[in-house]
Amino acid sequence: MITKKRKFSGHTPTWCPGCGDWAIGGAIKEALANQDLDPSTVGVVFGIGCSGNMNDFLNAYAYHALHGRAIPTAVGLKLANHSMPTLVIAGDGDTYGEGGNHFFHACRGNHDLTIIVHDNGVYGLTTGQVAPTALKGMVSKSTPTGIIERSASPLAFAISQGATFVAQSFAGDIPHMREMVDLGMKHKGLSLVNILQPCVTFNKVNTYQYYLKKGYRLDAGYDPTSYSGALLKAIEMDEEKFPLGVIYQTKSTPYHEQVPAYQQDKPLVQIPRISTLHDLVEEFR
Amino acid sequence: MKFQWIIGGEAGFGVMSTGITFAKIVSRSGYHLLDYVEYPSLIRGGHNAYKVTIGSTPVHALKETVDVLVCLNKATFDLHKHELTKDSVVLYDNEEFEIENGFKEVHVPFKKILREEQGQSIMKNTIALGASIATVGGDLQILTDMIESQFKKKGEDVVAYNKLFVKKGYDSVVQNYKEHCRSIIPPYPKPEDNLVMTGNDAFALGAVIADCKFYCAYPMTPSSSVLTTLASWQQKAQITVRHAEDEIAVINSAIGASHGGVRASVGTSGGGFALMVEAISLAGIAETPIVIFLSQRPGPATGMPTWTEQGDLLFAVHAGHGEFPKIVLTPGDVDEMIRLTAEAFDLADIYQTPVIVMSDMFLSESHSAVSSANVNRLFSSLKINRGKTVSNPTDRPYLRYKVTDDGISERLIPGAKGHFYQANSYEHEEDGHTSETAQDRMAQVEKRNRKQKTYLANHFKMPTIYGDISAASAVLVCCGSLKGVCLEVMTQRKDTAVIHFTHIHPLDEKRLKVLFGDSNKFIIVEQNSTSQLGLLLRQQTGIHIEKSILRYDGRPMTTSEIIGQL
Repeated sequence: MITKKRKFSGHTPTWCPGCGDWAIGGAIKEALANQDLDPSTVGVVFGIGCSGNMNDFLNAYAYHALHGRAIPTAVGLKLANHSMPTLVIAGDGDTYGEGGNHFFHACRGNHDLTIIVHDNGVYGLTTGQVAPTALKGMVSKSTPTGIIERSASPLAFAISQGATFVAQSFAGDIPHMREMVDLGMKHKGLSLVNILQPCVTFNKVNTYQYYLKKGYRLDAGYDPTSYSGALLKAIEMDEEKFPLGVIYQTKSTPYHEQVPAYQQDKPLVQIPRISTLHDLVEEFR
Repeated sequence: MKFQWIIGGEAGFGVMSTGITFAKIVSRSGYHLLDYVEYPSLIRGGHNAYKVTIGSTPVHALKETVDVLVCLNKATFDLHKHELTKDSVVLYDNEEFEIENGFKEVHVPFKKILREEQGQSIMKNTIALGASIATVGGDLQILTDMIESQFKKKGEDVVAYNKLFVKKGYDSVVQNYKEHCRSIIPPYPKPEDNLVMTGNDAFALGAVIADCKFYCAYPMTPSSSVLTTLASWQQKAQITVRHAEDEIAVINSAIGASHGGVRASVGTSGGGFALMVEAISLAGIAETPIVIFLSQRPGPATGMPTWTEQGDLLFAVHAGHGEFPKIVLTPGDVDEMIRLTAEAFDLADIYQTPVIVMSDMFLSESHSAVSSANVNRLFSSLKINRGKTVSNPTDRPYLRYKVTDDGISERLIPGAKGHFYQANSYEHEEDGHTSETAQDRMAQVEKRNRKQKTYLANHFKMPTIYGDISAASAVLVCCGSLKGVCLEVMTQRKDTAVIHFTHIHPLDEKRLKVLFGDSNKFIIVEQNSTSQLGLLLRQQTGIHIEKSILRYDGRPMTTSEIIGQL
């Protein structure tokens, strides 16, 4: 297991000591190793930010994309080669701010991606300005009198817009993160794993202690297949209660299986050039 | 022989489909054509006009006077009467409105026929087609064959019904106006098998010929029909087409697909292209092949969506922050659009960088006839060149951004066992890991820049010269769709020649300086207000052409406008 996990280890991370990214990175590697994958068999698209910097620390066929655009890049990669499990690793600013429109439509399309969001409420790499998930009133360098907007509600948003697997985890709990990533990857369709992550340098509100106090594991009786139940669970975040586990899961055919050129055993990249133009040019006569 | 037919009517009443049907009849009869669609919003509901210039040889430019004007409403006459001559034939219904004297009038009883046969007003077009065929001496059989294949799914009754209106229109002309009928398109016994295509159709077909497997777009006039055409071909052409949420998603999806190993492309117009610019820069540094179809319309901002301009040339050439090589192509007609589109995909793969194929509303939406045999020959003879794209790397360890003499490194399609790498939007070392060292930075900048030199040596094409430059007293210099009108000037003014650029960026300074020398007989002809081609030539080659003929009212440049300024 350790050898398998080690295959995914790239350069030594440059994250701050105590940053939640260390644990998230470790949990992702464990989840990949758990599934008997190796770096040649996984596609990862990274956003830009502290989380995206994992590009240098995690081995895979990767693309370090533009800020906000990891999702559409991954959508294209998956459509080109659906045989490769494809992950998006990005931050909350990247996914819910700059790339909000893409997140919205990726949920609608139920693209078969596992989107792992490092949700720390701040833009760490640019020295701690508020992210869309920051609590209303949070003071930062860009919001010296407190952020006016209320915090985003990403889980409820994802569920309501068509994501078919929505989970939440906490950077202080590696086994739980590993399990959520693992389940997300095994799910066919769009899976969101929102990971609550303390930024030890810039976020003095959402600390490890804060999440230990406000987060709780869903109990065994919780039914993630109920749409309305999941929405009610998801909006608890608006009251600073953080459910951890699979909030919502439903079955629905992923996007790539519905495109007209789809062939189950032959990803687009392996489909040869057509042999005649005959059928196409007829309409021009 | 040059002959022009125009049909005009209220928007939404089938003028467009009537126009394309007429154009196809012209082609099936063995003639060449160039058409143009005008759809300004001048009156309530909007006025549509469809012009078809017919020729026995390839038609480079629209004729400026009208031979046959079919008026489905009064506005058509009012808006086009300045294009009429005393020999022009005007088809209209004198039960509906009167026109000024001085033209050859053909009264087509649209209203009466509709009343007698209880036809809906859309059938006016069908009558007009029959009447038009009679006026230009065409073969009615060609039209009735088209009606049969178009309506056979709807049943015999529908076919017969349509044929009836065609016949009524045809008869009303041949029986009453024999003297105004001319033999313009009598069908050749064995007409050449031509395809009637627009520049947008040509890009779509060129992309399929080049084995493009992923096309992504957000609708934007005048590029949208590439999206709809390719979308309708998804099964037949084994291509995946995604209509994404915005142009930013469009290009990033295509970049992701290209990284996955398929040939990928996007299409848009100026405003959408502006949204794509950051990702063009990404493709530059991550060295991901991408073909971008940019069909221009007059800007800035929303501008004039349904009109034509070449106002985005410098924007395209300079699109993207930071420094990286990029190739820009400006095909001049439908035929060149097919060939250069196919070439664009090779260039994108070979140089692992963005390639922009430029069009404009005029080229994108105007039909002309291209040889079916040539298209098929291109398809069967094209050897796809993916450059250094590999499914297994030569060296171990594999270095995605290996520094090479030609600036190009092997690009491994993800999935090869035993390897992995990252394509990186950050500056990087040879293996793809992020780096900010001075050495890595310089090595990678220089490596990327070397691709431009390699391109100039191996794939840059000098502009095409038409006519004899040394003998000519004036040489017209143009790029893109202005080719046609300049060639038409040449046929009318034997003392002119034309230089047409298709490989517009980057330019080879040395070779172009030799071509242009220090003569002052060159005249830039452009469809913009600041002579962007002139500026580009000065910037990249030092060649300074002082004279220019510019048009920027959204209407295509005309022959007489150029000749008038020579």
